Amino acid sequence: MSTSTLSRPRPETLRKPTSRTRSNLSGWGFAAPFLVFFLVFLVWPILYGFYMSLTGKSLTGANDSLIGFANYAEALADADMWRSLGNTLYFTVISTVPLVLVALIMAALLNIGLPAQWLWRLSYFAPYLLASTVVSLFFTWMYNPQLGLINEFLTGIGLPRVAWLNDPNVAMWAIVIATLWWTVGFNFLLYLAAMQNIPAQHYEAASLDGAGAWRQFFSITLPQLTPTTVMIVLLQILASLKIFDQVYQMTAGGPGGSTRPVVQYIFETGFTGYRLGYSAAISYIFFGLIVVISVMQFVITRRRSA
Amino acid sequence: MTGSALLGGGLLAAGLTGCGGAAQAAAVQDIGFWHLLSGGDGIKMQAMINAANQANPGFKVHPTVLAWGPPYYTKLAMASAGGRPPEVAIMHASRVPGYAPGGLIEPWDLDLLAENGVTSADFAPRIWEKSQHNGQVFSIALDSHPFVMFYNTDVAGKAGVLGSNGQLQEVSSPDEFKAMALEMQKVTKAHGLSFGYLGSGSQMWRLFYTLYKQHGVDMELTPGQPMKVDREAAVESLEFMASLFDDTIAAQAGDISTGIAEFARGGSGMLFSGVWELPTMKKAGIPVDAATIPTLYGTPASYADSHSFVLPRQLKLNEDKRRDVYKFVTDVLKGSLSWAEAGHIPGYQPVVQSQAYRELTPQIHYANAADIIAYDPESWFSGSGSDWQTYFAENVQNVLLGRDKAAAGWDAFEQRTNTLLSRPNPV
Repeated sequence: MSTSTLSRPRPETLRKPTSRTRSNLSGWGFAAPFLVFFLVFLVWPILYGFYMSLTGKSLTGANDSLIGFANYAEALADADMWRSLGNTLYFTVISTVPLVLVALIMAALLNIGLPAQWLWRLSYFAPYLLASTVVSLFFTWMYNPQLGLINEFLTGIGLPRVAWLNDPNVAMWAIVIATLWWTVGFNFLLYLAAMQNIPAQHYEAASLDGAGAWRQFFSITLPQLTPTTVMIVLLQILASLKIFDQVYQMTAGGPGGSTRPVVQYIFETGFTGYRLGYSAAISYIFFGLIVVISVMQFVITRRRSA
Repeated sequence: MTGSALLGGGLLAAGLTGCGGAAQAAAVQDIGFWHLLSGGDGIKMQAMINAANQANPGFKVHPTVLAWGPPYYTKLAMASAGGRPPEVAIMHASRVPGYAPGGLIEPWDLDLLAENGVTSADFAPRIWEKSQHNGQVFSIALDSHPFVMFYNTDVAGKAGVLGSNGQLQEVSSPDEFKAMALEMQKVTKAHGLSFGYLGSGSQMWRLFYTLYKQHGVDMELTPGQPMKVDREAAVESLEFMASLFDDTIAAQAGDISTGIAEFARGGSGMLFSGVWELPTMKKAGIPVDAATIPTLYGTPASYADSHSFVLPRQLKLNEDKRRDVYKFVTDVLKGSLSWAEAGHIPGYQPVVQSQAYRELTPQIHYANAADIIAYDPESWFSGSGSDWQTYFAENVQNVLLGRDKAAAGWDAFEQRTNTLLSRPNPV
């Protein structure tokens, strides 16, 4: 797509060079405020962080000499890094699936034409506006093994109590449920907007041909939503990989390290464990992983749309 | 509780600025003071600061209260590394080995302390020894706060386990202790002992290390070497702990606050807890007394730490402010009787030996703890609220819940510790 536009002669090339330099200057002027921030707060930290990962730099100022890739070698042999990385990936998988599916189902149900649309939209989206601390507090209380609302309900219908945040087998799922309630509204809104953009004629034509509601959903709605789904999945995977707040506030990585995400491990090694250089190295390993996942997604989606 | 203490402190500070500030504003030195005391002891601390401010018109101490544990130590280290720390701060004595070698804190000048009337003779030997690092004094202990046993005298009386002096009878073996707890359980019909530990490495470590040290053995952490530990004593201590959580002697699973709440409403006869919970127990209105944790393995020992004053490294040292800090710290030490009311054992011996302190009960019943306290083994990663305690919880919680063998949990923790010891030392 971009190659075809470039090959065409552009009108600007006909203008005099002086005016082009001037308009370039004003262009840079307009871009400058962003550019300065971009360079100072993104590009420079990325470069400096990489340099740090090659040193033994510590918060206490001891030993900040260059040590090559020793930090990387140590990290690749660090069982706790692999475990926390595994936790992050596990969370990403088990949270992305419901966050996409539930959003789709909620949007589809609403799109059927329920009354009081604004109320549904508001109530699905409202949790998204809360701060992570608020959400964590809500759920910490609801998950409380003795006094919590959820266990109260479970025992009420004759089921056993669950130690939601204290059982290593359940804790991650408890975090996923809280996250689902908190952020599903955003995906829901994207889906709803996309659904409302599907022309009504498609459905009219389909019903004239005798297609039922299910048939219409799978043959019209879903295919029409493909670009939206691709975007939502992409955004969701990136958001889930960054998991930190809820876990830090609800379980602090416990019980037994079963929910500690890699971002928390980076924080712990760097700030409470003083080893900034080593934690920078883990960050870059994680960064590399995100790049790999993004490229894979890019390749898959490009193949699809081609 | 944290929130209201913060708010209260803020309002108090604002009020004082309002009335005293204007006249002498020019000459008054502002002293920044960070601490992590946000519960009932935070209120006591604020009162001691106010008293010091009133007695010294030349300076005004501004406290900043931060959340206990990693958030506090992270910020203190960052501020010191960045050259903008407070003039004085509170630090657990067990965390000093992680700060002193890297130069994040500066040693105290003993002459200047003596000028203000405080010398090494004013501290118990174990506490003074702990303040040293490489022959210099890096921390001045405000207190020691051991892990002790509270008990409900009413329950104990009905269970027939009180001695003739009205205090709990002595037990000297794990079995005797359990038998006593079972007697109390018959009275409460719920549990004999309260001890919540879920999700809290600090809490598990406090009891574990008390029991471990009672074996008369040591634990040493030297970077570059495997940890030196008596594995048998460690496993035995864990096994005993796990055997307590059988839902009769003590609840199988509960967190710290659940345990405290159970004891405070009379649901058990005993509580293993830090001394700082004393105000909570007094407020609960139960007949409470306290003692050090019974010696079950031969050697009296009690896990403890000390809130200590440290001097974060300043980029540009202001000598006048430094002098004011010495005056402030020594004033607080001398006025630490009110600190004792919060449950802590004052570090400053003249207060401990005063008649007023001797009249404080139950504080006086566990004051002997100062002679048997055991601080965390020293290393850059150990101490109160450290990641090391979190790793302890990660490996040991399943043992206490009865899901894992004590030996397996201990070995995993030892291995984790050895990994830390094999890593480069960042301080």
